[in-house]
Amino acid sequence: MEIKTVSILGANGIMGKNIAGIFASFGKAKVYLLTRSIEKSEVAIDQAVESVRSESIRNKMIPKTYDDIEECIKESDLVFESLSEDIELKKQIYKKIKPYLKSNSVIATGTSGLSIKELSKEFDSLSKNFFGIHMFNPPYVLTLCELITHSQKQDALAKELENYLHIKLNRTVVRTKDTPAFLGNRIGFFVISRAIQLAKENYEQGGIDYIDTILGSFTGRSMAPLVTADFVGLDVTKSIIDYIKENTNDDYNKIFKLPDYINCLISDGNMGKKSGKGLYFKDNDKKQLFVYDIKNKEYRLKINYQFYFSNEMIKEIKNGNYETAIKILIDDDSYEAVLCKKMLLEYIAYSLTITIQVSSNIEACDDAMATGFSWLPPIAMIDWLGGIDNVIKLAKKYLSNEYISILENKKIIEKLPHKSKYDYRPFLKAKY
Amino acid sequence: MNKVYILGGAQTDFQRNWTKEGKNVIALLRENIFDALNNIGLSKKDIIELNKKNKIAFFVGNFIGENYIDQGHLGALLTVVDSCFYGIPSARYEAACASSSVAIDAACSKIRDNTYDVAIVIGWELMKTVDSKIGGGFLGKAAYFEKEGKGIEFPFPKLFAKLADETIKKYNLDEGRYLTNLSRIAYINYSNAKRNRFAQTRNWYIDEIQVNNRKNKTNPIIGGKLALTDCSQVTDGATTVVLCSENYKKNNVKEEKPIIKGFGHRVAPMILEEKFKESEHNEYILPWTRQACIDAYFRANLSVDDIDVFETHDCFTSSEYVAISCFGITKPGKEFEAIEKGIINFDGKKPINPSGGLIGCGHPVGASGARMLLDLYKQVTNTAGEYQIQNAKNGMMLNIGGSATTNYVFIVGKED
Repeated sequence: MEIKTVSILGANGIMGKNIAGIFASFGKAKVYLLTRSIEKSEVAIDQAVESVRSESIRNKMIPKTYDDIEECIKESDLVFESLSEDIELKKQIYKKIKPYLKSNSVIATGTSGLSIKELSKEFDSLSKNFFGIHMFNPPYVLTLCELITHSQKQDALAKELENYLHIKLNRTVVRTKDTPAFLGNRIGFFVISRAIQLAKENYEQGGIDYIDTILGSFTGRSMAPLVTADFVGLDVTKSIIDYIKENTNDDYNKIFKLPDYINCLISDGNMGKKSGKGLYFKDNDKKQLFVYDIKNKEYRLKINYQFYFSNEMIKEIKNGNYETAIKILIDDDSYEAVLCKKMLLEYIAYSLTITIQVSSNIEACDDAMATGFSWLPPIAMIDWLGGIDNVIKLAKKYLSNEYISILENKKIIEKLPHKSKYDYRPFLKAKY
Repeated sequence: MNKVYILGGAQTDFQRNWTKEGKNVIALLRENIFDALNNIGLSKKDIIELNKKNKIAFFVGNFIGENYIDQGHLGALLTVVDSCFYGIPSARYEAACASSSVAIDAACSKIRDNTYDVAIVIGWELMKTVDSKIGGGFLGKAAYFEKEGKGIEFPFPKLFAKLADETIKKYNLDEGRYLTNLSRIAYINYSNAKRNRFAQTRNWYIDEIQVNNRKNKTNPIIGGKLALTDCSQVTDGATTVVLCSENYKKNNVKEEKPIIKGFGHRVAPMILEEKFKESEHNEYILPWTRQACIDAYFRANLSVDDIDVFETHDCFTSSEYVAISCFGITKPGKEFEAIEKGIINFDGKKPINPSGGLIGCGHPVGASGARMLLDLYKQVTNTAGEYQIQNAKNGMMLNIGGSATTNYVFIVGKED
């Protein structure tokens, strides 16, 4: 597949400009960045250069506005739509570009979860060229790229596109079915949503910072789940979680029900990192970290919780004693350690059942979580826990039936590789 | 003379930042040493048994852990890693960025004279504990600090920029063409690193325009004519290589293993200006680096024609440039021929740094010698994976400390 020219629609968004950088660098393509004004497009180019840390790509990117649609689309081998998650807005722009598309151009949407089938309808006969190409922020660092098709007629082209994304663009490509939130976000926001609920359930103990401490970096992530929600934005978090809730109907649907405090924060304009305040906020003068207290409905200083099990685990991880660290967790039956275990086990079980539903390869969950979230991926988590038999034993002790049944499902377990292709060690951080 | 075999080893992923992971040197050593022991199938019990007979020893290469992590006595430090190491002879060897080569050399001596059967060489450095400016100051101690390091920001880029200036002057080179050659060296190293799953820069985007375009925001000048893309990386990492005696090999290892066929070790005047003064009437700009190569060829009874793959010390592009003639790939002053004709490319006749080298793979200074030796082992045993050079029979490495002050060369190859 040869992609010489690319048009990015909505190139001033965080994903739009970063993806422009990826096409201009690894893709060596000429990239048109389309926004509402030339000034916005020029700023986006500056940021795209910065995102791949290479001045050399600047000349490959050309600032354009939506008035230039005809010229840009006519020339483009790939058109990448990166507008906000509004189906009507997306469809409007599809109508505008449709008359100028080359018959063999690839059309892609960067949506993080809307139905590709539904969006493809705008393109009639060209719909076979329409794909979901979902990357993660920032794509220069997180290489995950979900490729979503909506029809079997796309198979041949999808294979070519997959090769292009993998070999040329240096992406870790995961093929997924056209299902809500695809794979990475489906799993990631399962954990985040569950953490949001647990914060509510445990508001007496402190809520948000309490739960993030229990699921801190020592459990295999660079950012705790609720910090991640702030990083993504609470509005985006809510829209993804609500979308999964509305469009799925399985045993785990109830996990995607958001408690009221999230809605309150959003309606007060506290969307997370981008608006300065969210579940957390940093007082930049005094460099103090505050957290939203669910019980008192106001911000308070973040508490540095210390639990015996986590302190001990961190000590062991610091010295590279990973097996001792997991043994401490397994053997500790304090309330917090049990909560931690339950979450890790539910994460494994949910990941496996969703992955076999939306992907043809069970190892896709490891690609998704390692390269999209920088979280210790599920199969590598099984390795850390000492293998699937140990995981089943623990699940029987701590989880409810809807999770145990996944881990006892031979069709799933048979597909598991002997070992994850990801080494669990680098994911485990010796800190909260 | 008794042969020294290389049994195998392991390298940590040079992309990792151990400070960010919150981990200490013990974690680094534990992961790396046990990965290496697993690689060669040596258990803790085997180690204890070998030590009962006093037939195993550790040789640790590290430049300056005292500064980066406030820790000395680095041979003994291994006893903190695991109790199965109690009682094993262990000491640290230091020669700046050539530290682990001295450790390899010491290990070879003790194997050759039958003192030990198994020698475990561990090279390591944790450099991301401080910012690059402070770290640059630590590294300055590899030069004559009072004259060449003290109070100077990033002393080493400046020293190797002087080597670049001197190369242009000595061989009367066209500056533009020379800098294009250096850019090509950088580009080859970054490109090779993409095939190496242990390389620090494997996911970076670097193209030929960027390496040729010095003096901009994303590729600023670091010293003299050298820009960011001309420099090796600041890296956390460790590499363990396990060597053994003929006797041990015969009794315990069935598969073919390569041997260390020759070495060279020469120390040039420490002060860079003295090097230039001394070499004024020599056709080589770094005659002692050249001599170390000649010594290794002599000891191995091989010539450059026999070498299929090279790993060199590209701490800066200017040092790889001069290494080309030191290896004998070209005449001195004609290094550009090898670069421009693609001879040192991955698919060239004399590929240099298929691993990505210090620029692409990374440069945890005390580990680099051991890392090169392990890479030569991989090349000649056909286990280098995506960066395998086809039909590599013999490989050669050059590891230098300071401004090409300590020069270490090893030749690794299949047994005839």
